[in-house]
Amino acid sequence: MRAIGIILAGGNNHRMGELSKKRAISAMPIAGSYRSIDFALSNMTNSRVQKVGVFTQYNARSLNEHLSSSKWWDFGRKQGGLFVFTPTVTSENNSWYRGTADAIYQNLSFLKESHEPYVVIASGDCVYKMDYNKVLEYHIAKKADITVVCKDMDAGENVDRYGTIKMNEDSRIEEFEEKPIVAKSNTISCGIYVIRRRQLIELIEKCAEEGLYDFVKDILIRYKSLKRIYGYKMTDYWKNIATVEDYFNTNMDFLKPAIRNYFFREHPDIYSKVDDLPPAKYNVGAKLKNCLISSGSIINGTVENSVIFKDVFVGNNCTIKNSVILNDVYIGDNTYIENCIVESHDTIRANSYLKGEDGIKVIVEQNDRFVI
Amino acid sequence: MLDYHKSKGAEVTLAAMPVPLEEAKRFGILITDENRRINEFEEKPENPRSNLASMGIYIFNWKTLKEALIANAQQPSLDFGKHVIPYCHAKGAPCYAYEYNGYWKDVGTLHSYWEANMELIDIVPEFNLYEEYWKIYTKCDKLPPQYISENSEIEKCIIGEGAQIYGKVYNSVIGCGVIIGEGTVVRDSIIMNDTEIGFGGNIEKAIIAENVRIGDNVKIGCGEEAENDTAPHIYNHGLVCVGEKSVVPGGVTIGKNVVISGETGTEDYENMQLASGKSLVKAGDEV
Repeated sequence: MRAIGIILAGGNNHRMGELSKKRAISAMPIAGSYRSIDFALSNMTNSRVQKVGVFTQYNARSLNEHLSSSKWWDFGRKQGGLFVFTPTVTSENNSWYRGTADAIYQNLSFLKESHEPYVVIASGDCVYKMDYNKVLEYHIAKKADITVVCKDMDAGENVDRYGTIKMNEDSRIEEFEEKPIVAKSNTISCGIYVIRRRQLIELIEKCAEEGLYDFVKDILIRYKSLKRIYGYKMTDYWKNIATVEDYFNTNMDFLKPAIRNYFFREHPDIYSKVDDLPPAKYNVGAKLKNCLISSGSIINGTVENSVIFKDVFVGNNCTIKNSVILNDVYIGDNTYIENCIVESHDTIRANSYLKGEDGIKVIVEQNDRFVI
Repeated sequence: MLDYHKSKGAEVTLAAMPVPLEEAKRFGILITDENRRINEFEEKPENPRSNLASMGIYIFNWKTLKEALIANAQQPSLDFGKHVIPYCHAKGAPCYAYEYNGYWKDVGTLHSYWEANMELIDIVPEFNLYEEYWKIYTKCDKLPPQYISENSEIEKCIIGEGAQIYGKVYNSVIGCGVIIGEGTVVRDSIIMNDTEIGFGGNIEKAIIAENVRIGDNVKIGCGEEAENDTAPHIYNHGLVCVGEKSVVPGGVTIGKNVVISGETGTEDYENMQLASGKSLVKAGDEV
């Protein structure tokens, strides 16, 4: 591929509340055995992008752990590879990334020292499959300066958490609004961009000179009349996990056979770090209906319409309904959980009753775990 | 075991486990003195004089091993238990037995293989796969979680990554990527990776290898037991074995102590049946 990849994975987000206290959004677990960033990384490798930089800063530990080796996604090992960039204090720079453009600016040498003519920029908090080559071909055919991947949302869907786009009949972007209060269009930006490498360096340097830091606001929106910015419409599954509700629904989507087959069985695969866990185990008393269960889990109770991540223990006589239980959660006997997301490594005491009454409740109970 | 080997000043140490005396004739048996120094070996003896079975785990001093391997280089089908260790012993190298009393299971017969798998399903088995501090590693290329459908039932099972269960599975070990169709009942069986089983079937006490395709409404393990017609020493205990990449057509009924291998079609099953004890091994079963 004639492009390098950049994955913006720095984001933290107050709308994810408790869930992003421990980790960057890009490290959020998805669909039982993956993390959010696996989708962008797998798209990169499946599009034959060999060199990828991941820009991250908040709560990067769990993300760094996940990205410990490029082998899981099969990036180049002698040439190219997977690079993780966190803010570094130098004599010229002593600040955190002040925005997405600033993150790229602070690591501009990654761009300058590459030789591929194009750059694919994606964010680490979206769940989708995409061949970036198709976007690049389109970008070249349109002679665009920047191509923005976008998607039509269902009419009536609230789009105020996205950037919305209006294009002319040639697909050139005429209007771009970030998180509009009243959206004029239901076409949203998917946060995936293709741009010529030299063009990107030039724009980023200009931004830095002017003391501007945000890729969307200070480049896409500011330059939309000056530069040829085009929209590329995608029609396949795409979800962003910006809110607790989005996160919950995205996980629940994987209970649908069509979506499960699309991601798990259809070519190309989504890759992730392999954990060497034993198979899931179902003891006497286990009752399961419509759920995803991941390896290393031990189930003794009832689980319905739920997604259970790795290494979860469900005790005797428990009932779990319509919930997402993250990695390494221990659930004591006789517990009832409904409409909840239980944070990873948590311990739920026996005889607990946890229920999201209006909407999804995020459970973070830092109880001590006593196991033999 | 290495510490023991050094402390005894041994040149060869064999891990050994006490087994019930009536089982002992299946193993290589070690006869030792009170210091666990080995005096004699007996390979699968009719009348064992000891119940200390060799586990096939050895520590050698490199010099001793190298010398023995070179000296026996001309021996056809050179075997550690039969040739190399008796040679060292005959040359006077001190050989010791290291007694092990933990979980060890030889899965060399179909029945012991089946039994070992069934033991892993127990609530807290003697050998716990879920032990944090002694992980068992494997090569696995499957990542997705497993899906358990609305109408399924699962009790006492272990199930691998990416499996999709639409039927009812009891007391069984199910490999990665296996699909079990709606209404199919699987009991006391081992089903290996990527095998797909259609709907409406009934499968009991079967060992089904990788990448097998079993049609809809197939019944396996039905009726009375009968001795297998070709290899009763292998296919016994009522188990049904289906070799890897085999195909079993929909609607057939299969007995016990049966072996099936290769792409079979309805023409291979008289009246859509394969009686207990039959072997259906088709030529060219390697796809």
